[in-house]
Amino acid sequence: MTATVRALVLTGFGLNCDLETAYALELAGAQADRVHINTLIAGELRLDQYQIMAFGGGFSWGDDHGAGVLQAVRMRTNVGKQLLAFVERKGLVIGICNGFQTLVNLGLLPGFAADYQTRSIALTFNDCGNFRDDWVHLTIDPDSPCVFTRGMETMDLPIRHGEGKFYAETDVIDRLVQNRQVVLRYADAQGNAAEGRFPLNPNGSLMDIAGVCDPTGRIFGLMPHPEAFNHWTNHPDWTRLAENRRRQGVSPLPAEMTPGIRVFVNAVEHFR
Amino acid sequence: MPHRLEITLKPELIDAEGEALKRKAMDYFGIAVESVRTIAVLTIDADLTAAQLKTIQDDIFTNPVTQVSSYTPLPLSFDWMIWIGYRPGVRDNAGSTAVEAIEDMLGIKLGAEEGIYTSKRFCLVGSGLDAAAADKIAGELLANDIIQQWRVTSAADWDPQTGIGMIIPKVRLDHAPTVTTIPIDSDATLREISDQRSLALNPNDIPTIRHYFLDAEVQRQRAAVDLSDPTDLELEYISQARSDHCNHNTFQGLFRYSEPCRGHQETIDNLFQTCIKEPTLKLQAQKDWVISVLWDNAGVGRFDDDHYYVITGETHNSPSNMEAYGGAITGIVGVYRDPMGTGRGARLLMGGYGYCVGPRDYDGDLKPHLHPRRLLDGVIEGVRDGGNKSGIPTTFGQIVYNPKYLGKCLVFVTAVGLMPAKVNGDAAENKTTSPDDLIIMCGGRVGKDGIHGVTAASLIFSENTPAGHVQIGDPYTQKKMHDFLLEARDEGLVQFITDNGGGGLSSSIGESALFSNGCEVALEKVPLKYAGLDQWEIWISESQERMTVAARPEHLERFMTLSRKHSVESTVIGRYTDTGKLHVAYEGRNCAYVDLDLLKSGFPQWEFDAVWRSPEERGLCEPAIGVPSDCGALLLDMLARPNLCSREWVPRQYDHEVQGGSVIKPLVGVDRNIPSDAGVIRPVLTSTTGLAFAQSLLPTYSAIDAYHMTACTIDEALRRVIAVGGDLAHVGGVDNFCWPNIQYDAVRNPDGRFKAAQLVRSCRALKDICLAYEIPLLSGKDSMYVDGNLPGRYGITHKVSAPETMQFSAISRVPDVSRCMTMEAKQAGDLVYLIGTTRNELGGSEYYEHLGYTGLNVPQVHAQDFYPVYQALQKAIGQSLTASVRGIYRGGLGVHAALVAMGGRLGLALDLSNVPGETDLNDSALMFSESAGRFLVTVDPARRDSFEALFEGLPCACVGQVTSTPRLTVNAQDGAELLDVEIDTLIATWEKPHGELI
Repeated sequence: MTATVRALVLTGFGLNCDLETAYALELAGAQADRVHINTLIAGELRLDQYQIMAFGGGFSWGDDHGAGVLQAVRMRTNVGKQLLAFVERKGLVIGICNGFQTLVNLGLLPGFAADYQTRSIALTFNDCGNFRDDWVHLTIDPDSPCVFTRGMETMDLPIRHGEGKFYAETDVIDRLVQNRQVVLRYADAQGNAAEGRFPLNPNGSLMDIAGVCDPTGRIFGLMPHPEAFNHWTNHPDWTRLAENRRRQGVSPLPAEMTPGIRVFVNAVEHFR
Repeated sequence: MPHRLEITLKPELIDAEGEALKRKAMDYFGIAVESVRTIAVLTIDADLTAAQLKTIQDDIFTNPVTQVSSYTPLPLSFDWMIWIGYRPGVRDNAGSTAVEAIEDMLGIKLGAEEGIYTSKRFCLVGSGLDAAAADKIAGELLANDIIQQWRVTSAADWDPQTGIGMIIPKVRLDHAPTVTTIPIDSDATLREISDQRSLALNPNDIPTIRHYFLDAEVQRQRAAVDLSDPTDLELEYISQARSDHCNHNTFQGLFRYSEPCRGHQETIDNLFQTCIKEPTLKLQAQKDWVISVLWDNAGVGRFDDDHYYVITGETHNSPSNMEAYGGAITGIVGVYRDPMGTGRGARLLMGGYGYCVGPRDYDGDLKPHLHPRRLLDGVIEGVRDGGNKSGIPTTFGQIVYNPKYLGKCLVFVTAVGLMPAKVNGDAAENKTTSPDDLIIMCGGRVGKDGIHGVTAASLIFSENTPAGHVQIGDPYTQKKMHDFLLEARDEGLVQFITDNGGGGLSSSIGESALFSNGCEVALEKVPLKYAGLDQWEIWISESQERMTVAARPEHLERFMTLSRKHSVESTVIGRYTDTGKLHVAYEGRNCAYVDLDLLKSGFPQWEFDAVWRSPEERGLCEPAIGVPSDCGALLLDMLARPNLCSREWVPRQYDHEVQGGSVIKPLVGVDRNIPSDAGVIRPVLTSTTGLAFAQSLLPTYSAIDAYHMTACTIDEALRRVIAVGGDLAHVGGVDNFCWPNIQYDAVRNPDGRFKAAQLVRSCRALKDICLAYEIPLLSGKDSMYVDGNLPGRYGITHKVSAPETMQFSAISRVPDVSRCMTMEAKQAGDLVYLIGTTRNELGGSEYYEHLGYTGLNVPQVHAQDFYPVYQALQKAIGQSLTASVRGIYRGGLGVHAALVAMGGRLGLALDLSNVPGETDLNDSALMFSESAGRFLVTVDPARRDSFEALFEGLPCACVGQVTSTPRLTVNAQDGAELLDVEIDTLIATWEKPHGELI
């Protein structure tokens, strides 16, 4: 009998990926609760009941004053101490898309030298000037401490954002690279760096950065959506894959879990 | 004292918004701008201390990594500066969230008179710029004077200390709410007042209205509640309820239909009854998956034992035509409230769109309010923000360009939701109000927005149309309300729910009170955005993001607790009764006391003369043309036509994967760039059952006969969902009619009788084809009056009527998503089959349109013949015998074969001599005929026998092969090479027309 791993998925105020994020965590073996931000603020639930916390995608507060900005303000003002205690207690935090934007505005990322309150990286408007939905190829740094990507080298995931351009001063980026905090980078189908080429790098992110972790690897933020690759039929190539497999006489869809779900399994396994 | 915070990106960062403006200025007007930097402006009209100002500047509104900000004007250099802000009373979503953030961070509450307003400065650098160019950019690219105000300043006139000054678009009404009594001494008086007050009462209704208010018993009862002649609020209520938009008077009208050429004459009483309701009820009796139709905000079908899906479609034409962004976002966010207000409420699953606009490059003499290019940009962005910010995937959509849409554009929006089969043990599709249930208004507040929106939609657009009905939707507020209401539903707290859209409280309460047979409303309880609204304005305001809910008194406390948890405003504004009266009071004084059954009795039916003249009578004929000798060049030109070329830039802006159930995306193929036949989602993540959705628009065929337009549109939508793996036994439809005015007027609408006949024919086709294909109409709407009076040369105005248009949406259950199909060729060596019969049906085709003809032989639907073919194909897909399936739609075989090859980045070698079809068809007819009922399918040679066995006796033949050489080659019937084009050339040509757009 394995111990229950409890995950909290934030909802409310315009967040919108909570159902599939909770589903992905459940598939990965966690017990996931969708919790309204106001429930946390009201103190009806406390973070110390959870091992994993997911800041999911969406448009918190309409993203009117910079994506994730108002969510970060709200969380810092009302549950800032609890959040820091959660990090201190070695809980896992994943921020996806709007959640990533929130983590950088909270200062939970990059988390240099255990400083989890300073904003030094940003996700700003896509260079292409518009919201974009597309699938991207990602390479994963095998030497990153990131808990969520252990044992993974590449994956394809969808991106869906208008403000996903990773931006920071050069010295900050150097430090991220040095600490192996750059977890995910946009690439081509063969795994070569996108080198800024649109649409492989869909937003103009510096160094093709799609996701970073804190130095401990327990806080992970990424623009692509792993929870939206929860089934093989999510992948844009799946009908071609299925046709090939049928001709080889095997079931149309692979039996193993999708890379998207693996991200969450890594998190759950971390506690087992 | 007000404060003004200016925020801008650090200079080393690309200003994507500025870059986009620069690009558009060049592309649209040839104006060269060297650089544009944008500054976000927050005007804070609130009493804050210096320390508070500093806190919000640093901790909320300025990103230290990317932005700089200042309470004094930022010293960005420019040659010309454009400032743009909202007009008073226009929804400022960012201003509202700024208030929320400041209140939370500072732990304060802004006063009623305080507020925050957002605006923008654009700093343009360009040596060639002048005031005229800056004005053009401001007025024709950035701002719409209906909702925004702007100022253009040169560098010389700029005062760096005062900047733009303190512009505070606060609404000040200084008006005491007043109920006015309307005299009804004669029909003429009432008609005159109706015109003065934009009541839009139908002149034929006026005697009935007067008769009611002059009735002795009615007068006695009214006197008892201190009322005499009708109040303005009462007449507004009647006007809203009787409007064509709400009451569908046209479809319920009496049509005197004739075909003089064959001496035929008949009367059709009520098109809705005969062509929509009756066939749907008949099909509902046959199909147990049809759960709820014809009465609620949306139709309901069974998804599985535990879940029902909910679907409806709407249009938002008039508002989008005036203010494209605001109209479209209000439209999509509005249609999303329909599933929310169906049964006890549904969670939103997906949205679809259809845009019909004038040519993007129109440069003719007519001057529409917005140029089609700008209008389309705005519509696309409105649906983008409305859908994306609601967290609802937009999985399918279409755009049709046609100069006849210059008069009024069409914006179709479709919504699909999901509800549990049971809520708290009760059937989720049922709802009712009962005496003593509380009337609760949830969501946004009420302002002057959208007043007379419903009645304006029932008028023809002109330069004098009142602009007040244009609004900006707020998906953020609505998403909070959506989450709240679903939680309340699941706890069994919702007895009845409906949305406040057209007609506002007047419609939502008026209609919901019919269930309990009465209501009492205390109008002063309705929360307002600002003081000073008259009672009738509160009653009919169309301020968005509001639902009306009936809850039992004992559930109120829990309902309000959940409402607070979700930060949603909910207010009890009255209760339902069984008195038979609509009873509205304001601070204890009665403003309405009307019998609810007034609307059901005695109003005259609308009447129309409908005179059909056949295409031959109208002089239509087939063109006398030869066959092309350069078919390759012809195909390339066809692929570059605006209605066939790539529009990848639109679905790329729409989140089509949120909710995690994407199966077939709007763009498919190796390069993920080819529009799919349909979208498929897996709405219940733990299940492998899917929902396929597609829609179709073929307005061009109406130039020949709207009967066949309608038949072909339904057939196409059906084929689309079958092509991806839908189930023929479970296909539901949604009809959305958009028709020009059909009321004959010798001067203003001389062809009104013909348009009326087209409507009759279209409705008949709807009935015939839906019955033949067994498609129940789960929902549908009509929008009449898609005409515009446009100024042209010499000061002459022209009435431009849209082609008779019906969008048809098809939704189908997919039993197992792992068997879904995409359209691209999968492997070299596969066989290519053409399924269905090709006929000499080029009338109204893209091919004829390309050559400047209309023709006569419009495609026809032979449903009895097509159905067994579709059944066979469904079996083939269900047994995974096909590798790819594509319906053949607009543009014909040539265009869709090219797309199949392009999608797979593989070659196709086709031979026209094997195409199943009528004899004596020439090669161009085989290539470009748009005959309905056809598919192009690729099949693994190993499955050839099983596949062919399914089609024995049906029109289906192998017409070629998938090749590894990336070329499309077609041999003519005589064996000669008809065309041979590289796939890369096809793709480049097809992508080029919209290739620069992102």
